[in-house]
Amino acid sequence: MIRLEHVTKIYGDTLAVDDLSLEVNEGEVCVLIGPSGCGKTSTLRMVNRLIEPTSGRILVNGKDIRQVRPERLRQSIGYAIQSVGLFPHLTVGANIATVPELLHWEKSRIARRVEELLELVGLDPKEYAQKYPSQLSGGEAQRIGVARALAADPPILLMDEPFGAVDPLTRERLQAQFSSIQQELKKTVILVTHDLDEAIRLADRIAVMSAGKLVQYDTPEAILSRPASKFVHDFVGADRALKRLSRISIQGFVHPSPSIGVNATLSEAMAALQSHRSAWVVDHQGQLLGWVDQTTLSAAASVREAIVAQDVTEISLSSSATLREALSRMLGQGFKSIPVVDENRRLIGEVTLSDVEAATAEAEA
Amino acid sequence: MRNPKIRRWLILGIASAAFIALIANMQLWQMALSFLFPGETQVLHPRADLLILTLEHLELVGISSSLTILIGVPVGIWVTRPSGSNFLPIVNDLTSFGQTFPPVAVLALAVPMLGFGLVPTVVALFLYGLLPVVRNTIAGLRAVPPDLLDAAYGMGMSRRQALLKVELPLAARVILAGVRISVIINIGTAMIGAVIGAGGLGSPIIAGLVQDNLAFIIEGAVPAAILAILADQLLANIEGSLTHSPQEANH
Repeated sequence: MIRLEHVTKIYGDTLAVDDLSLEVNEGEVCVLIGPSGCGKTSTLRMVNRLIEPTSGRILVNGKDIRQVRPERLRQSIGYAIQSVGLFPHLTVGANIATVPELLHWEKSRIARRVEELLELVGLDPKEYAQKYPSQLSGGEAQRIGVARALAADPPILLMDEPFGAVDPLTRERLQAQFSSIQQELKKTVILVTHDLDEAIRLADRIAVMSAGKLVQYDTPEAILSRPASKFVHDFVGADRALKRLSRISIQGFVHPSPSIGVNATLSEAMAALQSHRSAWVVDHQGQLLGWVDQTTLSAAASVREAIVAQDVTEISLSSSATLREALSRMLGQGFKSIPVVDENRRLIGEVTLSDVEAATAEAEA
Repeated sequence: MRNPKIRRWLILGIASAAFIALIANMQLWQMALSFLFPGETQVLHPRADLLILTLEHLELVGISSSLTILIGVPVGIWVTRPSGSNFLPIVNDLTSFGQTFPPVAVLALAVPMLGFGLVPTVVALFLYGLLPVVRNTIAGLRAVPPDLLDAAYGMGMSRRQALLKVELPLAARVILAGVRISVIINIGTAMIGAVIGAGGLGSPIIAGLVQDNLAFIIEGAVPAAILAILADQLLANIEGSLTHSPQEANH
């Protein structure tokens, strides 16, 4: 648990952090967000004593961090930054081993740990341990940065825009991976970002900062539906309803959908379409192939021929997706419903536009 | 991948052996110089054999360059630390002054205080060679990206650990380039030591200039030139063995 009590940081005559009190519960992700210069990075860097507060105190697990030597404290707190800061003269393996080496771990233990971490972040240890940072892509470097921060298995992780320096697609992948790692490891995390979508996606609690002050500290849902001030309201923006959808998993909304086997006869298919405008077509293993409607069926000689076969991965969703992704697929494809498939691309059911509307209305209420 | 490096060391070893064989064989020099300068009655400087002169020369360069490195690098490190940063301008000025001040003038000033021979020559060479070492140490350390230091400190390295594990390895090539320049300058400049009796390869050259004997000059100048080339290659090889980036290591 991390606790900041009336922490103030003054540089010259600039008030960077103004009487900030904040508590991060064990195993939670706290995202510090706000416009640039709001003091979020200063706040983060005070937790591992890279900068010292002008006044106030910070407690980690009930202990004032000023009583711990800075080096010792930092070795027990993972640290990942936007520029990653991998040491270019060391291999990826040696970079990850930095903190274990400072802690004088045995060589064999370090080697095992490096392998474990590379696997954790989804990189093949055999291929990557001997590479140099200059041989990595931006996304790979950031993953190594996270692996390095996790190396000595610190209970606390400080991350300063850890996914900032990559393209949006890679960033989304890294965020998803971080989420699943966090679900497994349950670290206490403070993460700084200026990207609201990232905050909503990753945070258990969001701390919105402005001009050195903490203006609201709450769950993403609460921040979106009950902004505490005009500043927060403006900061989350007009599309907060949409943003809220990205906190809601589609899991609770999937329901059985009309589906037709690809080997069904035309009349069977027509019968199935009596009550629906269209239906999903699956093969004998239940894998999604595409969809048919009355128009395509009536013009075709068999169900197989009638399938409107688009790239199935493009129209379907996995069950771990959010309502926002569902909505975006529907708008993108012009569908009123979107099929949901399992990891083997077998059809589970569908989510419809009215489900999304219902969820929005519910959250609004 | 390692082969080119081994080959470079091998070539250097063979070249050095050939050089030693060349300077150890005074009869060869006698024959060659007599052939080139048939008019001279004496073609070899009588003070000492080339091997001795070369060793004297190496002693001058070795002592002064070691001092330059042993003092220049720590001074460069010190003025880039928070504790020494106040001294950065003055160190810059002093080392620049050391190089603008001609070594001959240093000798003229040093002889009355330190006498003739090795000591004043070493002082003059030391001062003259300090600038590239200190400058490059400062430049190399300054070029380490701040975010690497942020990461190093953020992971719990002490200042000393960050210096040894991150800053110096990254600055090593630039520092070594400074050392290389300094040593090469010293090999040439060490000639002046002969003026105040410090010996070395400058002896035959000075004598040749005084007595208008071109054979003497060549006897001193050729080995000195080869020595400078060998030293340059030696330091280049050391520099090359410090390559960390994989692209360079592949070539």
